[in-house]
Amino acid sequence: MPYTIMTEACKGTTACKKICPADAIKGTQKKLHTVDPVLCIECGACGKVCANAAIKDSLGNICIRVKRSEWEKPQIDNKKCMSCNLCIDICPVACLALSGAMGKNKHGRPYLKDDKACIGCSFCALECPVDAIVMIPPAAG
Amino acid sequence: MGKGYMGKVLFVDLGKGEFKEELIPDEVYEKYLSGVGLGAYLLYNRIPKDADPLGPENIFGLMSGLLTGTGSLFSGRWIAVGKSPLTGGWGDANCGGQFSPVIKRCGYDGIFFTGISDKPVYLYIKNNKMELRDASDLWGKDAVETEELLLKEHGEGTQVACIGPAGEKLSLISGICNDRGRIAARSGLGAVMGSKKLKAVVLSGCKQINVQNKAEMKRLTQACNKLAQLNLRMGPGVMNGYLGALMRAMPTQMAQDGMLYKFMLRQWGTVSLNQFSPETGDSPIKNWMGSNKDWPMRKSKSVNPDVFTKCEMVKYHCYSCPLGCGGICSMTGKYTETHKPEYETVLALGGLLMNEDADSIFNMNEILNRAGMDTISAGGTVAYAIECYERGILTKDDTDGLELTWGNSNAIVALIHKMIKRGGIGDILADGSRAAARKIGKGSEKYAMHAGGQELSMHDGRNDPGFAVHYSVEPTPGRHTIGALLYYEMFQLWKKVKGLPAVKPLYHKNLKYVPDMSKAIMTSANSKFMNVVNGSGLCMFGVFMGATRIPTFDWLNAATGWNKSPNEYMDIGERIQTLKQAFNIKHGIEPKNNKANERALGIPPLLEGANKGRKVEIDKLMRDYWVQFGWDQETGKPTEATLQRLGIA
Repeated sequence: MPYTIMTEACKGTTACKKICPADAIKGTQKKLHTVDPVLCIECGACGKVCANAAIKDSLGNICIRVKRSEWEKPQIDNKKCMSCNLCIDICPVACLALSGAMGKNKHGRPYLKDDKACIGCSFCALECPVDAIVMIPPAAG
Repeated sequence: MGKGYMGKVLFVDLGKGEFKEELIPDEVYEKYLSGVGLGAYLLYNRIPKDADPLGPENIFGLMSGLLTGTGSLFSGRWIAVGKSPLTGGWGDANCGGQFSPVIKRCGYDGIFFTGISDKPVYLYIKNNKMELRDASDLWGKDAVETEELLLKEHGEGTQVACIGPAGEKLSLISGICNDRGRIAARSGLGAVMGSKKLKAVVLSGCKQINVQNKAEMKRLTQACNKLAQLNLRMGPGVMNGYLGALMRAMPTQMAQDGMLYKFMLRQWGTVSLNQFSPETGDSPIKNWMGSNKDWPMRKSKSVNPDVFTKCEMVKYHCYSCPLGCGGICSMTGKYTETHKPEYETVLALGGLLMNEDADSIFNMNEILNRAGMDTISAGGTVAYAIECYERGILTKDDTDGLELTWGNSNAIVALIHKMIKRGGIGDILADGSRAAARKIGKGSEKYAMHAGGQELSMHDGRNDPGFAVHYSVEPTPGRHTIGALLYYEMFQLWKKVKGLPAVKPLYHKNLKYVPDMSKAIMTSANSKFMNVVNGSGLCMFGVFMGATRIPTFDWLNAATGWNKSPNEYMDIGERIQTLKQAFNIKHGIEPKNNKANERALGIPPLLEGANKGRKVEIDKLMRDYWVQFGWDQETGKPTEATLQRLGIA
């Protein structure tokens, strides 16, 4: 089930359209925006930026705006990680990258290369086969 | 809920600049999987008989695998498909890196190209937007430069597959590159991309890839990963050579377990075989004339595995690979780094040419990767040229002054440059050894070590007759990535597939050379299974771990929700193989003409070394293999009854 925009609440700020990594939101300034259900990947970024609480998530709950500085970020446990790159591929905003060699260990590990781009969708944590990624609020990191 | 595949493909008409999506019914995936199977299914009827492989009628596709992006491991292989200009029949080549999942993240199981563009273009897809963009500025640039320029323009998260100058110049031994010089090298499909004036495919997408049973996928992956992470520190690298020598000396053979090979791959990569294989008799030396006696340990020492680990800066992991057999190595010269050369490259540019100069191999590896030329075929063709020179068929006048003698690394490097630029004799050699021999003539055809036009890989069928069979019978001949008796031992399919013979843990080596029907059963099982693997996008090095340790069939069931038995999956593999063979028949290939060069089959046998006196009974082995598939035992053509049984229209 994709995210949807409530017609009565949308003020057309374009914030959701700008952040959507899947180019799933259409609309112009001050006009009603719509989510393409085929393109929506349910990352939740639109809901977190909408100041007008105009977006419903896939379960029908109204999304509440969260300050970007409070968005959760992935923390990667290098001991559990096996460098399979699944997290890097699934990241819709390409904010993860593989590091160089880590001392004697020549297997690079994924790291949050571009933390400003991260939308805190937690896709990486869900995809990790060995549960090496946890999402934590920035303050805890 | 999805079934692992995306359910549609994209056709791009380069002549008209049009895009067309095509939905693929579920039944097609059930019959052919995705990847190579779906590619063969779609191209069999659409490429007309007698189509020029480098003309507008050929269709060229980039496929992802069914298991790619489903949470399975080792599933990062993308597959290029089309009619091969090198062999004239079915062509496919696969490659790792990070490119395979992005095809699916753009919403497709494959992207196909028809027609020919009138100017160089590249395809750019981002999410649901797609366009053909001008690539005039990129034309002439090497694969690494092209990729870097495109990444700079399109940003992080973008993946690029492109051709280098070899593909642009329609070299029949050129391939398609991604990840700064990894290459889907075989079958000459780089030339097809070049003929279409398609410089690159640039993809960026984030579509979700859904499976039926996510929890089961994860459970299977976790169990597989535990085994993949098992580590056995081996070394030093030179010990592998002594291990090979020991195995050569023993009259008995231990059935080889892929877990051992996995340890070697993790530590060194495929270069772990650089000394091991020549010692066992697995490596062809001096254009298949020589033996381990001509290439003893003191010579192969220059490329012993530790040479590569010393300059390895970081391990290279393809998408979804927990192993990391690749690496990025530092090097001296014009370029400062290169992908760690593979065993095939090291032998094709080393022992096959009697070249002991490791620096030249690093150098050639990088320039061939950047040019987008197959290192196996390039090495095989240079070996042909050297033999011609040594025998007086080619002279210094023909080679523009190059002294093409065995082991003359400077001349070899210079010749490789000529082949890439198509300068002088390089113009003739850039199309591989068969095409070159046809032009040079003078009886030189017998020195061109190919099967059906494709240069043989660096595994000797006189040591393991399974290689000789697969070189000769596959619809894509001359390939080492489908099977051998050794591969049958490592796949351990008999533990999952009913009716297949088990290999004894210890057996007399002579049994390998008895051309009985069991060889056909084993080799046909390899072919069927590798079609399933290439339909799934799995890596052969992963499945070497053995059928009970890497859950190929279970992953497929969990992703698709099908509940098929391993035998049913093998039937799918059989169908794909028969369809590829039918493709070849349609395009005028006579299967018996794909027999590997006689020298590689021990006709005449070697007089010394590990494979002394061995001759492969290839005619019988080929016939038996064809019978296993229900193909005509005299001609190798699939019979009407077989086509009907498999439901191939």
